[in-house]
Amino acid sequence: MNRQIPLIVGVVLLSLAARSAEPIVSDSRLITDDRRLQILEAKLASLQREVNLIEDRKAVERLQQLWGHYVSEGMATEAAALFSSSPVASIEYAQQGVYLGRARIEAFLKAGGARLQSGELRETPVMQAVVHVAPDGQTAKGRWRSLVMGGVHGQDGTWQEGPYENEYVKEKGVWRIARLHWYMTVNGSYDKGWHKQSYPATGPLKELPPDQPPSVVYQSFPSFFLPPFHFLHPVTGMPVAWDDTSGGDAR
Amino acid sequence: MKSLIRTGIALACIAAVCTVIAQTAPAPAAGTRPAPGAAGAPAGPDLSKRLARAADRIASIDAEATRVDDYNQIRNLQGVYGFYQDEALWDQVVDLFTNDASLEIGSSGIFNGRESVRRYFLGLTGGKQGLARGQLNIQSQLSPVITLSPDGQSAEGRWRVIIQEGTFGQSANWGSGVYENRYVKQNGVWKIRQMHFYVRFFAPYEGGWTRTTAALNERYGKSTAKADQPGGRYETYPARQVAPMHYGKLDYSAYKLASDDSAKAAEPTAAAPRNVATLEAQVRALELKLQRLKSVDEVENLQSSYGYYADMSMQDATSALFTENSSLEILGRGVFLGSDRIYEYMRRLGAPTNGRLFTHMQIQPVINISADGTRANERARLFEMFGVNNSQAQVAEGTYENRFVLENGVWKYQTLNGYQTFYTDYEQGWAKHSVPLMSYFNGYPPDLPHSVEYEPFPAVFVAPFHYRNPVSGR
Repeated sequence: MNRQIPLIVGVVLLSLAARSAEPIVSDSRLITDDRRLQILEAKLASLQREVNLIEDRKAVERLQQLWGHYVSEGMATEAAALFSSSPVASIEYAQQGVYLGRARIEAFLKAGGARLQSGELRETPVMQAVVHVAPDGQTAKGRWRSLVMGGVHGQDGTWQEGPYENEYVKEKGVWRIARLHWYMTVNGSYDKGWHKQSYPATGPLKELPPDQPPSVVYQSFPSFFLPPFHFLHPVTGMPVAWDDTSGGDAR
Repeated sequence: MKSLIRTGIALACIAAVCTVIAQTAPAPAAGTRPAPGAAGAPAGPDLSKRLARAADRIASIDAEATRVDDYNQIRNLQGVYGFYQDEALWDQVVDLFTNDASLEIGSSGIFNGRESVRRYFLGLTGGKQGLARGQLNIQSQLSPVITLSPDGQSAEGRWRVIIQEGTFGQSANWGSGVYENRYVKQNGVWKIRQMHFYVRFFAPYEGGWTRTTAALNERYGKSTAKADQPGGRYETYPARQVAPMHYGKLDYSAYKLASDDSAKAAEPTAAAPRNVATLEAQVRALELKLQRLKSVDEVENLQSSYGYYADMSMQDATSALFTENSSLEILGRGVFLGSDRIYEYMRRLGAPTNGRLFTHMQIQPVINISADGTRANERARLFEMFGVNNSQAQVAEGTYENRFVLENGVWKYQTLNGYQTFYTDYEQGWAKHSVPLMSYFNGYPPDLPHSVEYEPFPAVFVAPFHYRNPVSGR
């Protein structure tokens, strides 16, 4: 046994040394450079598609933020120009109904949604993005929200808040808004606070009736309303909604 | 016989040890494979062309990825600026500016050069770093429109801001405005080259923005430091003036994130690639780079989703965003460990009812992904609107320092830390009322006590940062 211990130790040491040496053979004769290059080229095509989608998400964010700045500055024509040229491009604010096509969208924005007459304020930052670009990079959906500091100078100001569920489309390589739907879930008095003086979500413009009635009928605070999500739960992949009967939301 | 058996056993042991060691031998490191020997002849002309094309394609995708990373870094930079500015950490703020930077805030006049910029900021707080007790100085950085130059070395950004300012016991103000800033990349690091803030309004809490005046608005950003040159004269609400947009009014479509020049701007490969192994290693690095860029978006989606679910008291949905081995610490409620306890915590908040408002706006995300792409940190802000119809309303601000983990390809919350900045009764405002730190629930103790002892406003507490200063490393 004593003679075998050094033998065992020696072999273990040699094995350890072998572990850190260069491999004796490198490239397999079964996988040629040509084949490896083929695989690499396919990977690069896939990475190109992937980087395009990553860029698309940034472009959609930038587009949506352009919207918020134009609306805050009362620039209705520029805001309308962000929309797709499709005749069914649409805008829907609160309970004001749906306007179809760029001309009508611009008319609505000038009459109400982005109107800044003398003394009017409508500060509209856009926040809290959940954006999904479709795998073909041609359409996208986004949920955002705006907290609007609004009102007319000299009168009681307003707080308005709520989420958007918007759709986007790529036209000739440029992203445009296909559908902008802003849910006004809070509409309240500045002086009294939303708890003491809340208003209904804004109704239709009398001077410019919409092309279609509201796509979803709801009431703002103090009524509870959940504007539906375009996306499934990011972890469980399940739809997320309130189940009226059980009182439990889907996991 | 016995010695033969002993030798046999010994040899078997040696063989077993050698096998185990061989199986744990590490794979050859990427890119260190020796050049093809006899098995791989020098690349023929066909392969050379394909190798060159593949190398070009790698460079061009890498250049596009770099531009997206630049966009994210600039977005982070402005958020980082905001979080330091809120706490009057002026040395940290000034570190973010270039040597030749310039600054104009409201009617402050123009400050040229970094040391002047430093004088400006110090002149806001009587020459001192940091807020004094009772001071609030929040400026939420929102609504980024970021435009990169074709060569990727500079950029412009437009932002909107919500201001909550005040001195406890004295005054509170709401404010709003627009930044039009210029940024530049120096030694691979983005910095602020020009900062121009246009005030829209700066109005006392009592009365709000619809009762503001030009004189009231002009109070914002007044420093005791003397400007180097007079600034512009700017109209504020109720007058109308649009802070000039750095992008063309109707020509935004000319801007594409991936500049056509970006492939040409990429570093040409130093020499024709020698072998496929080199390119394979570059592709592996590129895959990780793209995965980390995608992760910024996925973490942002995740945190935004949390906010939307929390608004609607969807506690199942919020708690399902957490990994099993997670933790949660909100306000002074103590630390709750594990997804089951987090689910229980959320459930205790109750189902939604008519007449209740619980808006949890998640804003100003500063997201950093670990080098290996498996973990993320985020600093963000909470803006909360709370309400019970006909009873009470509150406005609240908080700071998040969250940690996320990538598990089986899905990002999840690992730690949610929500620090209480202030909760105030809407009818009084933060000059008159700020709720003390909301502590342990009655009859529902946490798993661990507070991780940090602090008091909310009017005390000054800087929630610990997950990052060092991105420019100075301070």
